[in-house]
Amino acid sequence: MKMFFPSHWRSAFLASLCAVTSIAAISGCGGSKPTAGPAGSTAGGNAQGSSGANPTSKPATFSLAWSEYPSWSIFGVADEVGLINGKEGEMGSIEKKYNVDIKLILATYDSCITLYGNSQADAVCITNIDILGAAGSRNSVGIMPTSTSAGADACIVAGINTLEELAGKPTRGLEKSVSQYCFERCLEKLGKNPADYPFSQMDPEQAALAFQGKNEGIQSIMVWNPFVMQSIRSRSDSKVLFSSESIPEEIIDMVVMGKDSLSKPGGEAFAKAVVETFYLMNQRMADPKTSDQTLVGIGARFAKLELDDMKTIVKQTKFFGDPADAVRLFADERFQKETMPLVSKFCVKYGLTPKPVELSYGDGKGFMDFSTKYVSGYLESQKK
Amino acid sequence: MIRRTIPTWLFIGLAIVGVLVLLVSYEFLSQRQTRINPKQTTIPSFEKLGEGVKRMFAKQGTEENPKPPMFWVDMRATLWRLFVGLGVGVLASVVVGVMMGAYRWIEAPLSPIVMFLSKIPPTGMMPIYFAIAGTDQKMFTSMVALGIFFSMAQSIYQAVRDNVTDEAINKAYTLGASESEVIYEVIWKQILPNVIDCIRAQIGPAMIFLIAAEMVVSDAGLGYQIRMQSRVLNMNIVFVYLLVLGIIGVVAEYSLLWIRRRVCPWFNGV
Repeated sequence: MKMFFPSHWRSAFLASLCAVTSIAAISGCGGSKPTAGPAGSTAGGNAQGSSGANPTSKPATFSLAWSEYPSWSIFGVADEVGLINGKEGEMGSIEKKYNVDIKLILATYDSCITLYGNSQADAVCITNIDILGAAGSRNSVGIMPTSTSAGADACIVAGINTLEELAGKPTRGLEKSVSQYCFERCLEKLGKNPADYPFSQMDPEQAALAFQGKNEGIQSIMVWNPFVMQSIRSRSDSKVLFSSESIPEEIIDMVVMGKDSLSKPGGEAFAKAVVETFYLMNQRMADPKTSDQTLVGIGARFAKLELDDMKTIVKQTKFFGDPADAVRLFADERFQKETMPLVSKFCVKYGLTPKPVELSYGDGKGFMDFSTKYVSGYLESQKK
Repeated sequence: MIRRTIPTWLFIGLAIVGVLVLLVSYEFLSQRQTRINPKQTTIPSFEKLGEGVKRMFAKQGTEENPKPPMFWVDMRATLWRLFVGLGVGVLASVVVGVMMGAYRWIEAPLSPIVMFLSKIPPTGMMPIYFAIAGTDQKMFTSMVALGIFFSMAQSIYQAVRDNVTDEAINKAYTLGASESEVIYEVIWKQILPNVIDCIRAQIGPAMIFLIAAEMVVSDAGLGYQIRMQSRVLNMNIVFVYLLVLGIIGVVAEYSLLWIRRRVCPWFNGV
């Protein structure tokens, strides 16, 4: 009869197990203090040493992780119209102006967070809620708000007519994230106790798909655009129960960059280039000649959405298309004293951060700094 | 020389060295990453991994309303889904595979379908499962069961064709066996070790489908927790969960080998 694995394998396995345990014990006791040494570069930014600042040299590459969302898909369209070129090593007109290579990484929203938090991307498109979790493991600077959700995050229901009927029934959406934050805050504003309303995890894209497919287990979803619009359009018995319209300027969509990346040669140029791209695209949206075309361009990225839908979407996602408005927001007392503390509380409640992340507004002291430097810089350059 | 034997002590020694090299290089990478970013959670040190383990087993909920530690909640959810999914999938594929191998008129209409569908990756079919099978146990069961069904039915059908000789069947008939007796006493008993080997081979794919489904829709389970914790950047928990997945695979593999040895001692295996 054949042994099912040789006996020395078994001993080898046991011996390795011992080795694992002992090593774990040793390193656990000794602690792992970092020793001083030359800092390497993170995987995301292939900065070219000190040469990045020199306009004649080969430009440094910086990456921006983004997901499809009205004010972020702008970067995808900017790539299509040639303002920037998202491929590594290729340059669009803005990249040439700032002598920096922008690499666009398109991923789902939560993959973007993971990429950024693990230093695989230099900058990320993220909300003011989820960035606090990421800032717990990477010091960050918010370089520009792109939009605020004014109806773009919504709880869509079918077969449920009132808030009372929703109680006890699960709502599907991205848990411990901007969706759940919006869900709870809206319920609070509407005088309900969020504890009575279960919220369970499901990828927003899949949740919207299952909802549109009239999946019996899914009567209520909390998602963002384009999923909100798609779901409403494709299912006649659905309606918006409540949306981020009830919590104006609480959910801020923004572009955030790692402090480590920002301090690399070329980092500041990258931040400036991203800001300029965003405002140039906004100008295209405001210009009657290019407006519809740009909107359709963004809508085509979402698929299945036509010009009229895109016009609604842009209303529900209030763009900070005016740099002065962006500067106002980060300096706004309500944003600093009310909104961010509320967000901070949410993050601690759900374990996104063990303790509140230190925030700062422009002085760079906090682990998460909301800086108006780059937007103001752009504003100044326009005045000249 | 190829395949020259080495002494047992050397084999064991090299096995330990392999593991040690892995652990030391991990620690080195972790320290290097910490030098780059002192707050990094990407490659957690062993100390941080220990904290992760503590959090996994920490009590949840409030004092009046205590909940079990998250690790047990996740394990229970995942293992149950895996168990039910595998059970249904194995049962269905054994029935279909044996029938296809036994009767040409079942084989004829099914073999092209089974062959074709076994080539479509089940993870790609996920959106369809969500749309038709809901989001609860039914979805996970159908995901895992259908995920392994086609390729397993295909292998079992092959095993019946290749391993059960016409002589054995004719002998049984000559000795007066009925059709059902031939199927059970001759075919089933002959291919049982192949079935067990098939299950061994399908545990990996079954885990892939299950984890992928849990990552997309679920509020408990190893896949759910891995996605959630990686989004909130608790890599120390993610790494430990991955280790657990590996352990589940190893345990399942050796238990099935053990069962095969007990149930079919005559089988010499491949």
